[in-house]
Amino acid sequence: MVTERSPGGTLAASENEPDRGRYAGRKPASLALLLVLAVVFFIAVSGLSRLYHAQQEALGNRWFARGVADLKAQRFDRAVSEFRTALLYSRDNYSYQLNLAQALIGAKRTNEADAYLINLWEREPENGLVNLELARSAAQKGQTDQALRYYHNAIYATWPGDQEVERRDARLELIEFLLSINAKTQAESELIALAANLDDDPAQHAHAGDLFLRAQDYEHALAEYRLSLKSESHTPAVLAGAGWAAFELGRYPLAERYLQAAVSADPSDALSAARLKTAELVLQMDPFRRQITVAERHQIVIEAFTTAGQRLRECPAAGNSNGTVLPASGQQSLGEKWETMKQQLNGQGLRRNPDLVEAAMELVFSIERQTSIVCGAPTGTDMALLLIAKLHEGN
Amino acid sequence: MESGLNSQTDVLRAEAVASLPARSPGSLLRPIFREETFFLILSVFIGVLSGLAVVCFRFAIDWCRIYLVGSGATPSTMRLLLAPSLAGLVIAVLVIHVFPGARGSGVNQTKAALYIYNGYIPLRTAIGKFITAALAIGSGHSLGPEDPSLQIGASLASALGRWMRLSRDRMRLIAPVGAAAGLAAAFNAPISAVLFVIEEVIGRWTAGILGSVVLSAVSSVVVMRWFMGSESLFRIPAVHLERPSELIAYSILGVAGGLASVAFSSGIEKIRPRCKALPRWTQYFQPALAGLLIGLIAVLGAPQVMGAGYEYIDEAMHGQFTWQMLAVLAGLKIIATLLSFVSGTPGGMFAPTLFIGAMLGAAVGGAEHAALPHLSGSPGTYALVGMGVLFAGFLRAPMTSVFMVLEVSGNYSIILPVIVANTLAYVISRGLQPAAIFDVLTRQDGLDLPSMEEQREEGILRVEDAMRPMVDPVLEGDDALASVLSQADKSSTDNLLVRLSPTGWSSVSKEELRRMAAEGKGELSLNSLFTTRQIAYLHPDHSLDTALRYVDRWPLVPVVSRADFRKLEGVISQQDVLRRYRDFGEG
Repeated sequence: MVTERSPGGTLAASENEPDRGRYAGRKPASLALLLVLAVVFFIAVSGLSRLYHAQQEALGNRWFARGVADLKAQRFDRAVSEFRTALLYSRDNYSYQLNLAQALIGAKRTNEADAYLINLWEREPENGLVNLELARSAAQKGQTDQALRYYHNAIYATWPGDQEVERRDARLELIEFLLSINAKTQAESELIALAANLDDDPAQHAHAGDLFLRAQDYEHALAEYRLSLKSESHTPAVLAGAGWAAFELGRYPLAERYLQAAVSADPSDALSAARLKTAELVLQMDPFRRQITVAERHQIVIEAFTTAGQRLRECPAAGNSNGTVLPASGQQSLGEKWETMKQQLNGQGLRRNPDLVEAAMELVFSIERQTSIVCGAPTGTDMALLLIAKLHEGN
Repeated sequence: MESGLNSQTDVLRAEAVASLPARSPGSLLRPIFREETFFLILSVFIGVLSGLAVVCFRFAIDWCRIYLVGSGATPSTMRLLLAPSLAGLVIAVLVIHVFPGARGSGVNQTKAALYIYNGYIPLRTAIGKFITAALAIGSGHSLGPEDPSLQIGASLASALGRWMRLSRDRMRLIAPVGAAAGLAAAFNAPISAVLFVIEEVIGRWTAGILGSVVLSAVSSVVVMRWFMGSESLFRIPAVHLERPSELIAYSILGVAGGLASVAFSSGIEKIRPRCKALPRWTQYFQPALAGLLIGLIAVLGAPQVMGAGYEYIDEAMHGQFTWQMLAVLAGLKIIATLLSFVSGTPGGMFAPTLFIGAMLGAAVGGAEHAALPHLSGSPGTYALVGMGVLFAGFLRAPMTSVFMVLEVSGNYSIILPVIVANTLAYVISRGLQPAAIFDVLTRQDGLDLPSMEEQREEGILRVEDAMRPMVDPVLEGDDALASVLSQADKSSTDNLLVRLSPTGWSSVSKEELRRMAAEGKGELSLNSLFTTRQIAYLHPDHSLDTALRYVDRWPLVPVVSRADFRKLEGVISQQDVLRRYRDFGEG
């Protein structure tokens, strides 16, 4: 079926070439009429167009609002569907696409999200949020180089609202990412840059302290905690963090102070309590600390020697070694040394031979180190002795 | 005295001016409103009005979709089943009782207007097409808006042509001008629209029609962009070809596309006549049943097959489906489009073709990536190439297919994969299915419109195929009449050719030569006698059609070299031409 047969009108038009004069005279009028018709049609379509676009915009906004609500509620699949619907009505809407990408990332559909994000990135390569989302997506996929590139873009990108806050948050996220992949050195350098730009907000300093702590930069961690404690001196978590940083730095008196404060502020903090106990033991069991009498020092040495002997008995494999990396053959083992020294190590012997304090503690430290290697990390007094050994390493 | 002379002169001048014919505004505008110029101006108006009509058509489709299927991307099961089937019922009633010309895609109807109906397409067809196609596409039938837009444009142009009382020649050309405008607006791609109309509807390149087609297409796209924005139908991803060896991967896509095209067109070719042959009362229910089945496909998990599906082409281009899902969607879209089209639902084939091509392309690309991860082509690149492949294989418009992809992607670097894949698809499709889909549909409708593909392939008979060598002597123009008489006497034929100096040819009979000699012109040179009686000459590469215009005027027409017009390659007569045509017909 094609079309109906032409009625007379066409034949009339086609049978004769129109008379030239009449033709030329009629045409301007016809064209003028055509122009009027086109203008009227154009105006009518403009009206329809306004209606159409208004409806499209309203529908887009409606579906977008639903999508945002579902995204906030972490109903990612529904949000994806709603943002897609919103995009039906405004395909190039930047905000719709960005939210769809976020929903797709939430739904772990990173490949699909990337398609939108890359499209957005091509439109606005300096957009901070897009760079951040691309970084997150790359991080999810384990593409470290890409992730780092986009994170850095995000840190130096343009952000709506408070740029400094957004940039700082982007850097914080980058640091979290670096720590998650164990890139502690890179994380540390980012943290130093971050710390330089922090406000006086104690929470920010506390967070930076936590991150430094995770990056094992205890010196900076302690400094940040101290800055935080200047404004809020009783925050248990900050006190605990400062205590831990001081503890790791071997500054046990300071650690004891912070940890005591932390435990009293939050008695349920078992970890800090355990660290406090260890710090107290270190301080009590260190024979080389100042302001103790000779008798007290001798007593501490004897107790340490006994503790080490006990540890050696619990870990006989360590007793057979000589406490060095050298082979045991031809030398006394730690067990033999301990047995030999035991005869001399009493109050009288120590008073007669002051050098015995050094020798006894040297053996105690060797035993603790060796047993920790062979039988695993010690606890309690043995742990304290091991930490004292570390404290006096090289002296 | 002087003043008297002056006044006399003034009077004479006034009389002279008064004796001139009065110059009416019409006569002043006559040079501007010559028919050629007028037709060009009219083409711009056709473009503007077609563009406006297509804008309204787009609005109508979207409104139908929103109110019938719903504004969400995931409509309810009830709507998915009811909307296309109930719309199908309404469409069937409208097509059978009110708009019988609205059935089908619209391309063949426009061709029929050009070749059969002297450019006549009733305006009612455009109105019917507008309403029924908007209902069909909006309710979820697997059809597209491009071919209906083409027909709406052609119909509007035809109505304007009738109103303007254009000559028959112009009336015949006006439908393609409107068709180009409608298609360009629907596609938002003027070059592809112009090429398609030239390649598939008109079938020949002529300067007269090309200007009008281009003007109408450009003006309709301007109108479209005014109202709908300048964004293309899809967001085009970055496209690049890193290694030429990857063309092999695209060749595989070409082969797959060729086979898919054959499957698609064979389906239509076989099922459509059977549906038409069913009792008349079934025609009321065929679109409804097709709609119900399409709704069922949607309910079962593939709502993407409903409607034109441009948004899903966009998603496929951006890697948002797995390659397995893409392959399933390509297959289901073929089925859905078959159902819609063979049931007689008005709507176009362009969008489904692009959809199937994009899905197939991205699926092949995805599968190749899974097997060979180092391939650089993105899913978007394969989807784009796939669209061109189906266009070349199914619609059999190879030139348009290449330019469409270039125009849509705006990226020239994709040209090599497109050419390779499209050519393969076209060759495979043509090899396995000799008749193009539009020709198949025409013949099923009982018409015999010229097949553009066959015309392209048709061998042209040339002068060199019919000419014969000149065995008789050729008389030289510098010779005296008396000196050539003996030469003429030796000639076996009555007519002789004269080579004039410095250039030109003439012919003369023996008897005339003798008569001239008897009149005492024997000492005169042939140049002086025949310079005013020059005859036309032909070149060996001229078509026999051209030769036919001359061979009846002279008994013998010289065929000369293009490099040297005095060098005779042969001669041709009316008998030679007719003999060659007879042999060709018998062959």
